[in-house]
Amino acid sequence: MMKIAVLSGKGGTGKTTVSNNLAALNSDAILLDCDVEEPNSHIFMNPRIKGDEDVAKDYPVIDEEKCVHCGECARFCHYNAIISGPSATITMKEICHSCRGCALVCQHDAITYKQREIGKIYSGTSRFGTELVYGELKTGELSGVPIINKIREMTGEEHSILIDSPPGTACSTVAAVEDCDYALIVTEPTPFGVSDMKMVVEMLRTMKIPFSVIINKAWLGDREVYDYCREENLEILGEIPFDRDIAEAYSTGKLIVECDPKYEDIFQSLWNKIHFIGERIHGC
Amino acid sequence: MDVKEIVVISGKGGTGKTTLTASLIPYLENTVVADCDVDAPDLHILLHPRLTRTREFIGTKKATIFSEKCCGCGNCINHCQFIAISPAFIVNHLKCEGCGVCELVCPIEAVSLHDVVVGNIYEGETPYGPMIHAKLVPGEETSGKLVSEVRNRAREVAIERGCSNVLIDGSPGIGCNVISSITGASIVLIVTEPTLSGLHDLKRVMDISERFSGKTYVVINKYDLSLDLSEQIEQESNRRGHSVILRFPFHKNIVKAVTEKNIPSLSEKKLFEKARWEDFLRKISDGVKV
Repeated sequence: MMKIAVLSGKGGTGKTTVSNNLAALNSDAILLDCDVEEPNSHIFMNPRIKGDEDVAKDYPVIDEEKCVHCGECARFCHYNAIISGPSATITMKEICHSCRGCALVCQHDAITYKQREIGKIYSGTSRFGTELVYGELKTGELSGVPIINKIREMTGEEHSILIDSPPGTACSTVAAVEDCDYALIVTEPTPFGVSDMKMVVEMLRTMKIPFSVIINKAWLGDREVYDYCREENLEILGEIPFDRDIAEAYSTGKLIVECDPKYEDIFQSLWNKIHFIGERIHGC
Repeated sequence: MDVKEIVVISGKGGTGKTTLTASLIPYLENTVVADCDVDAPDLHILLHPRLTRTREFIGTKKATIFSEKCCGCGNCINHCQFIAISPAFIVNHLKCEGCGVCELVCPIEAVSLHDVVVGNIYEGETPYGPMIHAKLVPGEETSGKLVSEVRNRAREVAIERGCSNVLIDGSPGIGCNVISSITGASIVLIVTEPTLSGLHDLKRVMDISERFSGKTYVVINKYDLSLDLSEQIEQESNRRGHSVILRFPFHKNIVKAVTEKNIPSLSEKKLFEKARWEDFLRKISDGVKV
């Protein structure tokens, strides 16, 4: 089945709105909220949580009895996560990438690894019957990538997967989008929406993931985004009009499809188009 | 000279960080502006800097395996914690974190690490003073390092030019790029919106701000979308000892100003006056002095 990433570049353009409304209409799909720094899907989907799981990361521990402070580990560490002086060797677990290189270079068998929790993954059934899996990075942690990787490993091939991705185009977005069959870029008709979308387009082209565009808050700004899509030959799959009533309903955790039946049609038609594209991609 | 840093962040994206930063800049004297939202930089769109210097930033290393030398032993694949090497011994550069383990375990020196440009840093002049911004190469990691580089350069320029403040436009989220932008800053302005997501994300970003920086102030943008949630934000902020120092209404003219690439506080003066912009500016300048 299709794995579809919903992403945007700019924050607040409607990634969660698009992924959640599509998921609400399709209870056999699974929604993965990979925006682990600020996950919001659970606010709209109200899942009954069935389970949670800690996500842990390795960090090196120096055995003071064995360590001779030779400094080999500190010289090797590409992240400067180990500082070695004549009488002390200190590790900084927050900036360690868990590559396990320090133990490999240590000639004195003085390095072992412990695990520390960096976040949690929750799963449950939403009020629409759709399964939701979401991750939450502990505040103060630097990277949610291990949590995103783990969320992505948890699902099989038998359901369609919808991924609510993080904003931006940095490593956490790459982890959320990696191996997807298809991506939806949610943008808005403002210069900021267009500028940030260009970076996403560049990223998706590098990753060779086919995509199309959804314009949210349509008619609020100007035409630049339409011109850009035309010049780049990007397919605009749908538009969601700007509507103050939607914005107010959103503020209290309601989905658009709950506000007005006409939006149910918009999202159902989007889903149909996505599936049509899916069949084209998979060649069946 | 002591340079004070004021950082604008939000937790949730799209609440109005860049709009607020751009609106502040004409009213702050002796200030260098830095856009630290390196994977979605937008401030330059409103400030139109005249670029004076552009340079590449090398932020990481990546491994390459030379297939003509490779003996196929598989040591690199077995030791790579990032699952970045394929069974055909090709390194996936999007997954490689440049740790050097593959180079270390290769028995025949078929692997080498090379420097990678992760972004460009731009320096320029706006009518309101110097501006530094950067653009991450889409898909690159180490955005936190690029943020630190932009911030350090802005501080250097401030010292060179005798400026007393650096105003920083930050990223959404709470990860490394946000932590890099706020650590040790004098003032953090959190821009939020009265939605359940806004409130949820605000609590998480406040945790970060309280832990890594000095004074935290809250701005509620589009406050009239839900007066009830605005009240809840206010209570949460007060409970944690942070003041809400600006409440701004939702208005299409702000979107219009941005669409026309104007600074909203200059083109929509009346709206800003009505929202008690002067009081807000005074609170910031008082906060900077303390």
